[in-house]
Amino acid sequence: MIILFATIVSFVPGWAVFGQAGAALLVPLFLRYIYRSLYRFVGSGRGQIGHGTKTARQSQPPVPAHSDTPRPASFSGNYNSDLLAVRAAIGGNSDLHFREFTIAHSGARAVLIHISGMQNDRVLNMQIMQFLMYDLPAGSLSSAEIAGRLLPFSELKEEAAIDNFNKLLLFGHGGLLIEGLPCGLLVELPGSANRTIGEPVSEALLRGPRLGFSEVLSENTAMLRRQGFNDQLEMKSYRAGNTIQRDIVLAYMKDIVNPDLLEEVKNRICKIDFDFLAESGYIEQLIEDNYLSPFQQLQNTERPDRVISALLEGRIAIMLDGTPFVLIAPVTFSMLLQSPEDYYERWLPGTLLRLLRFTASFLALMAPALYISFISYHPGLIPTELAITIIKTRQGVPFPSLIEVLILEISIEILREAGIRLPKPIGPAMGIVGGLIIGDAAVQAGIVSPFLVITVAVTAISSFSIPMYSAGITLRMLRFVGMLFASVLGMYGTILFFLLICCHLSKLKSFGVPYLSPISPFRISDWKDLFLRAPMALMKRRPVMMKTRQNKRKS
Amino acid sequence: MFIRTDDKITAAQTAVFLNNTLLGAGILTLPRSVSQTVKTPDAWISVLLGGVIVMLAVLVMVKISQQFPGQTVFQYAGRLTGRFIGGALSLLLILYFITIAGFEIRTLAEVTLFFLLEGTPIWAVILPFLWLSTYLVSGGINSIARVYTIVFPISIMILLISFLLSLRIFDIEHLRPVLGNGVAPVFAGLKSTVLIFTGCEVTMTLVAFMQDPKQAVKAILGGLAVLMGIYLLTVVIVIGGISIGSASTSTWPTIDLMRSFEVPGFFFERMEFPFMVIWLMQMFCNFSSFFFQASLGLSQIFKLKVHPIIYALVPLLFISAMVPKSLSDLFALGDAIGRMGVVLFLLVPVLLSIVWLIRAKGLKQHV
Repeated sequence: MIILFATIVSFVPGWAVFGQAGAALLVPLFLRYIYRSLYRFVGSGRGQIGHGTKTARQSQPPVPAHSDTPRPASFSGNYNSDLLAVRAAIGGNSDLHFREFTIAHSGARAVLIHISGMQNDRVLNMQIMQFLMYDLPAGSLSSAEIAGRLLPFSELKEEAAIDNFNKLLLFGHGGLLIEGLPCGLLVELPGSANRTIGEPVSEALLRGPRLGFSEVLSENTAMLRRQGFNDQLEMKSYRAGNTIQRDIVLAYMKDIVNPDLLEEVKNRICKIDFDFLAESGYIEQLIEDNYLSPFQQLQNTERPDRVISALLEGRIAIMLDGTPFVLIAPVTFSMLLQSPEDYYERWLPGTLLRLLRFTASFLALMAPALYISFISYHPGLIPTELAITIIKTRQGVPFPSLIEVLILEISIEILREAGIRLPKPIGPAMGIVGGLIIGDAAVQAGIVSPFLVITVAVTAISSFSIPMYSAGITLRMLRFVGMLFASVLGMYGTILFFLLICCHLSKLKSFGVPYLSPISPFRISDWKDLFLRAPMALMKRRPVMMKTRQNKRKS
Repeated sequence: MFIRTDDKITAAQTAVFLNNTLLGAGILTLPRSVSQTVKTPDAWISVLLGGVIVMLAVLVMVKISQQFPGQTVFQYAGRLTGRFIGGALSLLLILYFITIAGFEIRTLAEVTLFFLLEGTPIWAVILPFLWLSTYLVSGGINSIARVYTIVFPISIMILLISFLLSLRIFDIEHLRPVLGNGVAPVFAGLKSTVLIFTGCEVTMTLVAFMQDPKQAVKAILGGLAVLMGIYLLTVVIVIGGISIGSASTSTWPTIDLMRSFEVPGFFFERMEFPFMVIWLMQMFCNFSSFFFQASLGLSQIFKLKVHPIIYALVPLLFISAMVPKSLSDLFALGDAIGRMGVVLFLLVPVLLSIVWLIRAKGLKQHV
C-alpha cells in the first residue's frame, strides 16, 4: 500500500508544472475576458446587436424632427404661411433661390425653389418657368390629384410634410408651392456635377465590360437594370443616417434569393444607427458578423457584371448613394479569389489562373514565416547546397532573421502606402527608387540577404495578384502574425499559425454562410467553381451553399 | 433555415471526425509496437485482424447509441443503469479521455522537441498548442468537424505522396515469408494493433450529433475502414522499407523511413518535413477531439455550461501531459491506455447493451 502510494507520489509533477498549469488557465481566461469586453464595448450601434429599427423604409412616414419652436408639420394650403414656414426653416441658405411669380391664367401665386448648381438652368428658365407662368391652363389647383393631372412633369411628387420637403429641396430637388395647394410639389430631380462613367480603377480586367459604378445611386441601379431583360430583379430602398440621411438600395433576384437570407440582411440594414454613412465601408462595418476578425465578411466591388452574377448566385447587393463600391453579401473565402475574367476566358486558362491565385495567397500569407523558420530553426530541412548558399549570403547580416525580414517587409509596406498617395506620373519612379535601388543597396550594405529580397518581393507581388484589394490587405496583416509565430517556435509555430487561421475561418460566418464553404463544410457540387473553373456546360446549378429558391441555371 | 443554429454534423463529417480522432500517435509508433510483438513480417495481418475486431466492437456502440437518438453516452448511461452507476461509468470514460489527451499532447511535444525544436522548454511547446485547441473546442462540434474536413484531405494527400515516394526503397522480400511461423504471432500482435484504435469510444457521443443517425453505421464503419487502410499501408510500407528488424528497434520507425531516402530535384530533399507537418496537424485534431469529449461529458453529467468546463480542463490536461517522467514512462502509459481502453470497451458498451437488452426486450420496459 505504501509502495503504491509512493509510486503515485513520485509521478506527481513538481511545483513548476502546477505554476505553468495555472498560467495555462489564465491566458485563455484573459483572452476571453478581453474578447468579451471588446465586444460589449463596441456593441452599440452595430447592425446585429443594436435593438429597434432606426432606418426607415422610404415609403414609411418619417419621424418628425424635434425642434424648440412649434412649427407646422405639414402644408396648410395657405400660400403665405407655407412659404413663411419654408423660409423660416431653410431660407438662410445663400444657395437657395426663391422665384416667386403669378400664374397668368388663374392668377394664383406660386414660388419655384431650387438650389443653385443642382438644376439645369436652361430647362428651369426656358421651359418650366415659361410653362408655369403662361401655359398652365386656368382652374384652381386645389388638390394634389388635380395638380398631377395639370402639370406635365415626368418627375412629380407631392410632399405633405414641410420637414421632408425642406430636406428634399436642399438635396437638390426643384420645389414648387402653388397658392391653394395643400402640399409641396417636387418637380425636378437633382442633377449635381458627376464624373463620367469609366472603367473601374480598383478592379481592372483585360477582357470584360469596361463599365464601373459611379457615385450616383440612380445611375448604379440603372446599370444593373441595363444588364438584361428580366422581371425578377427587385430593388428595395432604405434611408439611413441620423444626421445626414442617405439612400441605400438592396438588390436581389426575387425568384432566386433565399427569403431567410433576405430577411436577415434587411434586419441588419434596419438596425444601422449612425449619423452619416460616408461610404459603403461604413455599412460593411456596421452589419458584419464579427468585427474582430481580420477577414472581411462582405465583398465590395465596382463592377456591375460582378454584382449581377452574384445576384444570380442568390446573393444580395447593398448599394449606397455617393460611392461606386457596392457590397455583396454573403461572401466566402474562395469568392475573394475569384475574378470575373475566370469566366470570360475559356475554362482551362480560367482554372490555371485560379490555381495560381490560391498559390499566390498561400505565399502572401506564409512565405516570410517559412523563410524565418527554415533559416533560423531548421536549415537541415532544405537541400544542403541551398542551405549553404543562403547561409553564406547571410553571413554579413548582423540581425536575427526576424529583424531582417521585418526591416524589408515594413519598408515594402511603406513603399506601397506611399505609392497610393503619389500622383500618377511619379508612381513608377517611386517604385524603381524604392524597390530596386533600396533593395539592391540594402543587400550591398549587408543589412539583408539577397535571398530574403527574393522572398519579400515574391510575397509582395503575390498579395497584389489577389483580385480583391481588401482581401489582399487581410493577408498582408496576417503575414506579420505568422512571422511572429515562426520566430518564436519555428516550423512548429508556423503550423500552429496555419491551424489558428483554419480554426478561425471555420468558426467565421458571413450572414450564416460558413466562410470556408464549399471546402468545409464539404459541398462537392460547389467544387466545380472552386479551384477549378469547370466548363460552362457543367455549370448547371447555382451554388448549394446559398440555398437558393431555384437551383437550375439551365432549363 | 438559412442560418443554422443546431449543432449537428453530416455523415461524411462524422466519418472524418472519427478518422481524425484516431489517426495520430499510432502512425509513428505502430510499426515498432506491432513488429516487437509479432516478430515476423506478418504484422500487417495483425493490423487487418485488429481492425475487423474493432469494427465489430464499434458496431455494438453504434447500435446501442442509435437506441437513444440525440443522446450521448453520458446521458443514456444514466438512464439505463441508474444515476449512480451511469455517472461512475461516464466519469471513468472522461478520465480515460483526459488521459489519452494528455498522452497525445506529450507524444507530440516529445517528437517536436526531438526533431524540430531541440532545447526548447517543454511547456513552450505544449501551452500554445493547448490554447489553440481551447479556441477550437469552444466553438462546438461543428467548427471542430469543419477544421477536420480541411486537415483530413491534406493529411491523406501528403501521406500517400510520402508513401509513394518511399516505394523506391521498398523491398517485397522484407514482407516474406507470409505466415512463416504459423498464425500464432499474428494473434500475439493483436494486443498492439487493437491499441491503436483506442479512443473509438467517441463513437458513442458522435452518433448523438449526427443529422441523420440512421446513416451512423455507414459513416462510422467508413471512417474506421479508411483509418485501417492507412494503418495497414503504414505497416506494409515501413516494414517493406526498413525491414522488421530495424522497425522494432527504432523509436519512431515511420520517421526513420522518411529520413532514409532522398528525393532529388525537389525543394525538400526528404519527405520527413511534410510528413511532420501533417502529423502535427493530425495530433492537433486528435487532441482536440478528446478535449472536446471530456468537456462535453463533464458538462452533461453535472449539467453545467460547457465553456467554464473547457477552461477548467486546460490546466488539468497540462498536468496530465506532464505526468510521465520519461519517454519510456510515456510508452508505458500508452500501453496502459490501450489496456484501459479494452476494459472500458467491455465495461461500457457491452454492459449498457446487456442492460438495455434485458430492460427493453426482456422486461419490456420503456427506457
